[in-house]
Amino acid sequence: MSTFVDDFPAEAKVVRSSMYNAFVALAIGALMGILQTLYRTDVFHFISAEQYYTVLTAHGVFMVISFTIWFLVGVFAWAVISSLDRGVEDLRFTWAWFGFMTVGTLLAAIAIFGGFMSDPPEVLGSELSADVLFTFYAPLEAHPFFYIGLVLFVVGTWLAGADWFRSYLAWRSENPGERIPLPTFMVLTTMIMWYIATLGVATSILVFLLPWSLGLVDTVNPTLTRTLFWFFGHPVVYFWLMPAYLLWYTLLPKLAGGRLFSDPLARVVFVLFLLLSTPVGIHHQYLDPGIAEGFKFIAMTNTMFLLLPSLLTAFTVVASIEHGARQRGGEGRLGWLKALPWKDPVFTGMIFAGLMFAAGGFSGMVNAGMNINYLVHNTLWVPGHFHLTVGTAVALTFMAASYWFIPQLTGKQLVGRSIALVQVVLWFVGMVFMTNAMHRTGMLGVPRRTAEPWYDGFEYAGNVAEHNFQIALGGTILTLSILLFFVVILLTLLRGSKGGVEGSSIPEPLSGPDHSPAVIDNLKLWAGIAIVLVIMAYTLPLASIVERGGLFGPDGMRSFPSGNPGFLEYTSLFVQMVIQNATEVIFR
Amino acid sequence: MQIHNYEKMWLVAALVLIVAIIATITYGTVGLGIAMVDDTEDTVDPGALEEEDGFDDPGVTQVGENEYDVHVIAYQFGYDPGDEVNGEIQIPEDSEVNFYVTSRDVIHSFSLVGTNVNTMVVPGEVAAITAEFDEPERYGIICNEYCGPQHHDMEGIVAVVPEEDFHLFTLEDVEAPDEVELGDDATFDVTVSSDHYDERTTTATFEAENETTGEEVEVEEELTFDGHDTAETTFTVDTDDFGTGDFDWTVTVEDEIESGSVAVLEELEEDE
Repeated sequence: MSTFVDDFPAEAKVVRSSMYNAFVALAIGALMGILQTLYRTDVFHFISAEQYYTVLTAHGVFMVISFTIWFLVGVFAWAVISSLDRGVEDLRFTWAWFGFMTVGTLLAAIAIFGGFMSDPPEVLGSELSADVLFTFYAPLEAHPFFYIGLVLFVVGTWLAGADWFRSYLAWRSENPGERIPLPTFMVLTTMIMWYIATLGVATSILVFLLPWSLGLVDTVNPTLTRTLFWFFGHPVVYFWLMPAYLLWYTLLPKLAGGRLFSDPLARVVFVLFLLLSTPVGIHHQYLDPGIAEGFKFIAMTNTMFLLLPSLLTAFTVVASIEHGARQRGGEGRLGWLKALPWKDPVFTGMIFAGLMFAAGGFSGMVNAGMNINYLVHNTLWVPGHFHLTVGTAVALTFMAASYWFIPQLTGKQLVGRSIALVQVVLWFVGMVFMTNAMHRTGMLGVPRRTAEPWYDGFEYAGNVAEHNFQIALGGTILTLSILLFFVVILLTLLRGSKGGVEGSSIPEPLSGPDHSPAVIDNLKLWAGIAIVLVIMAYTLPLASIVERGGLFGPDGMRSFPSGNPGFLEYTSLFVQMVIQNATEVIFR
Repeated sequence: MQIHNYEKMWLVAALVLIVAIIATITYGTVGLGIAMVDDTEDTVDPGALEEEDGFDDPGVTQVGENEYDVHVIAYQFGYDPGDEVNGEIQIPEDSEVNFYVTSRDVIHSFSLVGTNVNTMVVPGEVAAITAEFDEPERYGIICNEYCGPQHHDMEGIVAVVPEEDFHLFTLEDVEAPDEVELGDDATFDVTVSSDHYDERTTTATFEAENETTGEEVEVEEELTFDGHDTAETTFTVDTDDFGTGDFDWTVTVEDEIESGSVAVLEELEEDE
């Protein structure tokens, strides 16, 4: 029983480095998270209201682009290499995509953090700033570096996918007629979905936003770039989720002491995600003028069918865990739950992640309901929803999995196992407080993406202060949890003793791939159907949007470069305010 | 393909759930008449809204007995009308209101807090949303889409007022002199508009008082309008009665007031 690093030392270094990059992004994202949580709940203002939006942009981009996708490429590289049991074809190519993603991340980071400078320098003819949030809706305009960074990052992921397809093709030529190993199958279907989805954001940036931010074209059609963003923006949430699903299907049954219940159903689930993830993006635009009700209705029905693969996953994962528990001597209708390895932070973390995903699924159904959505659209309900999904189902799975991966990738035993257990439980508790209160304030109409969601003209019809307290408390617990995560990771890296790490092999499923027809492995077929579905869902809406607003928008559309009062001005204002208050207190 | 019996049951239950959800949403949308914001409105030029019908003079107009159109322009960082600078939006109780909202700069939202009146506002497009208001109430309008550094300051009010307090008369203009020569008449040309859809009357009241001499005058004039109409009237003050010195005047139509003062001089200086 050997670890991954014993078998593939050079590849383990790439996987390890990708995960370290993910951890750096997680650290920055978490710091931004607590700053904004305390700000918008009016507990403590470390930043100015204008800087809130720089912080929010950084939180979004670092968490859901950098952290998730860096971790994903690590997981996917591990999954392909270990399940095909072969090293990458060309290590230089592997480091090349790693390089693209790194440079992309740095460029976007430079543009975003320019927003903190008192007097951002002019680079390429515009001020270095990108306070445009994760969605970068035009005509709000970011610095070209922001767009170039995103493009390089996405190109890096494309090359990573090519790397894995290359491994697969090499394996295939040596193993004709064999079924694709399940983890590789999951990676390949997810990457096909990703290639299709990223065409939207690539078109939006390369054809419209980048030339516009460089001053080559004067105007944009905001509905068009927004629609192209959501063409990518919904499938990207499944891109974050698929590595978590991969771990739930492969690692979790093993940790529970058993085997995956059904390999065929797992394949069906990933095929369904490939087919249905993209032709649904318009459900983010239920409230957009200029898009016909019929297109919104089609997106709604497609979205509801996307519930199917997740419901099937719930069944298979729970069945696999129950099987594991019974192998460990668990008995009774629910008594088997006691036989599960609850002291294992990897297992417990993933189970809590799955539980929260179920809750997130339900609030997601509300979002997808095109009529009820009017009540919650762009309220704090929505971030409440996705802190359950990407913020817990994905992030907590990744953190818990790190406790398994780091020993596999370094050969060092995990140090601080009990701290790790506390860490995953704290994440769960913190998210329960935070997301519950976010959903509830959302129903009162409290907006998301707003530095100071309190107003002069009216009062909310509910106790926002109490919910804010719960949000701030939850955020604080989450910050503590992140700190413990880094304690465990650093202790393991610095103090972990070499050797004695359990092997990384995944047990065979109860029902193997031979129980499914070979057509399930026909990737070209599924890719073809997925493309046809996207063409059907998007051709008419995009044609109508271009016809209404023009390819590059109406002439009267202006640009609105982002930017805000700098850090120095803010600090001096803050000092003035403190002195003024102090003098009032003293001389009263 | 081999599927376990429990898996089959689960699969069927999942599909039934999905179809049931789609059915309830379809009923809850079509059956209850919750219309989506869609593409029925024509596009506008965000750089020339002053030339677009309705947005050239944004605000409330009556279009039926209990039906009102409200055109609103969202901008960085407020609503015209709706915010503090442009004045709140007033509509009567028991009315049906069609909001038409566009943006002259970036993407905003127009959201009445705690209600399902909630729409994206995209430059170049007009978001149309219809809502019924039964009881007098003050609703906060907020922007829930990030639109720039002062996004959180963007707010306004839709005030649903009792029927008897509601009118759509606007005191557009009072043309008044700054100074007149003793013995001449001071004339005040008053323009009032009505955004009601039917024939209406209102009263314009003119008051003037010379504080030094104690002379005062109060005149009322009834104004009659067709639907969406403008009426003019003229008030006159005979300065022989008032004597020299400043006198203050006010013109009142419903709750709209204009005021100023006029200097009555022995002899006007010639601007040579």
